[in-house]
Formats: sequence, structure tokens, C-alpha cells
Amino acid sequence: MTDCITKAEFAGMIAGAAASIRANHAMLSELDCAAGDGDHGATMLRAVEKLEQAFGPGGPEDLKTCLKDAGWSVLGVDGGASSSLLGVFFGGMADAAGNDITGMFEAGLAALRKQTKAQPGDKTMMDALVPAIQALRAAVDAGKSMAESLRDAAAAARTGAEATRNLTARYGRAKFLGDKTRGHVDPGAASISLIFEGFDQGFSNLKGEAGNA
Amino acid sequence: MKMKKFINKPENIVAELLDGFALSHPGQIRLVGNNLVARAVPKAKGKVGVVTLGGSGHEPGLSGFVGDGMLDVSVPGEIFAAPGAPRCLEAIRLANYGAGVLFIVLNHAGDVLSANLTMEMAKREGLNIKMTLTHEDISGGTNPEDRRGLVGFLPVYKIAGAAAEEGQPLDACFEIAERMGRNMRTLAVAVQTATHPSTGQPIFELGDDEMEIGMGQHGEAGTGRMKLKSADETAEIMLDMLLKDLEVKAGEELLVIVNGAGATTLMELFILFRRVDQILKGKAIKLARAKVGEFITTQEQAGFQLMIARMDRELIRLWDAPSNAPYFVVR
Repeated sequence: MTDCITKAEFAGMIAGAAASIRANHAMLSELDCAAGDGDHGATMLRAVEKLEQAFGPGGPEDLKTCLKDAGWSVLGVDGGASSSLLGVFFGGMADAAGNDITGMFEAGLAALRKQTKAQPGDKTMMDALVPAIQALRAAVDAGKSMAESLRDAAAAARTGAEATRNLTARYGRAKFLGDKTRGHVDPGAASISLIFEGFDQGFSNLKGEAGNA
Repeated sequence: MKMKKFINKPENIVAELLDGFALSHPGQIRLVGNNLVARAVPKAKGKVGVVTLGGSGHEPGLSGFVGDGMLDVSVPGEIFAAPGAPRCLEAIRLANYGAGVLFIVLNHAGDVLSANLTMEMAKREGLNIKMTLTHEDISGGTNPEDRRGLVGFLPVYKIAGAAAEEGQPLDACFEIAERMGRNMRTLAVAVQTATHPSTGQPIFELGDDEMEIGMGQHGEAGTGRMKLKSADETAEIMLDMLLKDLEVKAGEELLVIVNGAGATTLMELFILFRRVDQILKGKAIKLARAKVGEFITTQEQAGFQLMIARMDRELIRLWDAPSNAPYFVVR
């Protein structure tokens, strides 16, 4: 069982996620051109900017309020389903603020599942998110450190996202494209993978700095 | 092919188009709050408010139908993307004149998600609100959840808007919107793609000599890709599918809408409508009302949507009621 996560730690993870999306948003939009309208990268960029603001200087002190604000402002990105789902996820995490990171992510996932019936295999962000959180849970339960656990989660998200390449979309706008969606990674799953890679990177940067201090 | 559009910065498209829309219709609409489109003069207290949401880039849909006799507030999203729940909630609060709010939602994943979140929040605030979903695109199959909301929003806005204007209570406005929804069917066809104005990317690909029946509002694939056909043949194929799906019988009265997707000319739309009318006459189906033009577009996409709706006396009366919405003026 890892300790409960602090606001500073989570802010570091958010900074990592934002950096990861910022570096790859053009690639996300390109992926979205295959089965969508090519704006996914721009939407995700706006969403992570909102997350950064909520956790940035001048934001609320406590993690719960930060997450609530973050969820609300990501909902307000007006970027269609992607930003709404991400907003629900972060807003949902607020319910478990004060728990360890796994519990928070699980609460976010539970909130998400109230809004979408999409399951892993449907070629959506769930294909990366669900295995990432499962891997995190498994790592934490196995007694791995927070840094190791986040690394496992990022790896699982990456594998899950990559596996969407061979799936047929069954949710969202892309479902109307049917088999034409095969051969391309789902942009939503790719985003989640990048976010978890960013969480991993952000957390280890933070620990690196602390180690050097 | 390089995109050729008169825009400035891609990130300013929505704000600038809304500005221009409001400035050109000062007596009818205005922008309030976070870029919500509202009537210039709010409705009287004690009447039901009517609100909708939807992505931008489909002008004059959906905000062109805000006005006396139609919508109270519209929540425009980014290009082809639904607005989020926070602004929808703001719109619902604004349109609450004490008799509740009817929320009209077109069936698209992002819109429905935002609408469901909005409904949860509005109910938590104790707001009296009902949501009606339009899903009349028959290319989605037989499951209503898979049928998208296309130009059928127009009669639903008009009829529910007129009922609300008359002072009918929320339950009655909801019922009539649902009745309109159950009695309408749409099918779209595309012959040429549009470019996404923010990214400059084509939203789908279609061969030079092809057309696709069942194409969605954003280039989502349909059911039938085929060689390009003449206006008459295309109208015949599509109308036949619609009449079968709605199970229209001789003697019934229909509202017919031919909606241009953006690059298909009014000339073509009239030629198509001519054939639709001939076929209806041949089947002794009565044309109650007709509307030909651009009500919801997708940039320079070429193609059109054909909608039929079974009408009754009350629906026709409400369809004919006055409206000063910028793109649906009825005197």
C-alpha cells in the first residue's frame, strides 16, 4: 500500500502529462484524421492546459478542490466527447482525494463508467485506461514503489493503446466507420497512454529533484 | 489540396463567427455569458425555455434558429465538437423562466455525453428540465441509439419552440417534441469531402465518381458507397428508403426538407425536390409543407440530406406559427 499522494506530487504528474501531450499533439491530430475530424490533438492540448492551471500557482491548496476544479474546467474545454470524458475522470478522482493514487484513479474510472458503456476492446480511451489502472493496482498490491508502479501503468497503457490498431471502433463517432478504423491506433487511447507516460515521467522528475536537493 | 477559406487564426474561428452572426442580427439574437447565443429579448416569465447544443462549423445550424418562436438559447461548441456541460448548464439556467426547460439534443456521442452530464447537474440544482433526443438518420440501422440526429432538429426546434411560445407546459412541449421526433426520418448523401477549418485536413475521402448514401454530419461513413447517380435516381433511392422506414401510406401528409451540405447548389436542391414531389404525387402522398435550403452544413462538403416527417393538424399549425429566428423567419 502506497501512501496517499500529496498535491505537489500530483501536480508534478500533471506537469509531466502536459509535457507529454504538448510534445505529441500533432501526432494525435494525425491519428484522429484516420477516423475522426483531426482535432483530437488540439482538444487534448487545451485539456492539459486546463489541468496545469488547476494545479498551478494560484490554484487551490488542497488536492480535492484542485481535482474538482480541474474536472470542471476540462469539461469546459468544449472539445466533444474526449474532453468531457477526461473531465469526468479527473472530477471523479476528487471523490477519493486523500487515498493513494490507485484509489483515486479507480474512483475516476468509476465516474467515467457512469457516463459511457465503452469497454476495453471497443477501440476507445478505455483500452489504455483500464489496463493502466489495473497494472497500477497490481504493482501497488505487489509492494512495488510508487515510481515503479507508475512505470508499470504507463507500460500497460502503451500496450493497450497499441492493441487498438487491430480493433474495430464500436463507440463514438468512429463507430460509423466500422472496419475502416482498423489499422489505426485510437487517438483517445493514444492520449491516455501519453498521459500515463507523462505521469511516470513527471513523478520521477519530482523524485529526481528531491534526490538532488 | 490546400484549404482555401477566408479565416484568420484557426483558434479564433468560433469566437469570430459568433461575433459576426450576432452583429448581423442585432434585433434577433445576442451573445451572452460564455459565447451563448440567446434571443435579443428574453421570453416572458412563466413560459418553457428551449435550449440546444452542438458543434460549430455547421452554420446556420444550430444557433441560426434562436429567436422568438423557436430556441431560447443555443450552446455552440468548437468546430465539429460538442460544447462541455458547464456552458450547457449556464444556458439552462438562463432559459429558465419559471416553467422549466426543454433541452433538445441531436444524437451524437459528444453531444449526448455533455447533455447527460448537464442533466445530472441541472437536476442536482433542482431545475425542472426534460431532454429530448433527435435520432432520425435511418442509415444507423434499426436501433434508435445508432441513429444520428441530422436536419430533423429543424422541425423539432420549430414545433417545440412554438408550443413553448404559446405557453404550453413543459410536459406538453416534451411530448410534442417526441411525437415530431418519432415521425421523422432523414438520409444523407455526400459526393465531396469538406476540410476541417482548424486543421485543413479533409474529413473523409471519396472517389471522383462516387457518392455515399448514409454519410453522417462529419463524414462518418454510411451504408452505401456507389457510382455517382443523376438527381432523379438519387432522389428515388433515398426517398424510397425513407418512405419504407417511416411506413408512409397513401393519403398521409408529409413535411419534406432538402438540406444542402454546403457546396451543393440551390439549383441542384430544387432539381432533387422536383423528383421527390413527383414520386409523392405518384403515390398519392400529400406534401403538407416543404423547405429547401441550407439549415445545417458541413463546410464545403457536397451532398444533401433528405428528410420526411409525418404531419398532423397540430404539428402543421405549430410549424406555421410565427418565428423571428435569423434563419427561419415566419411572419
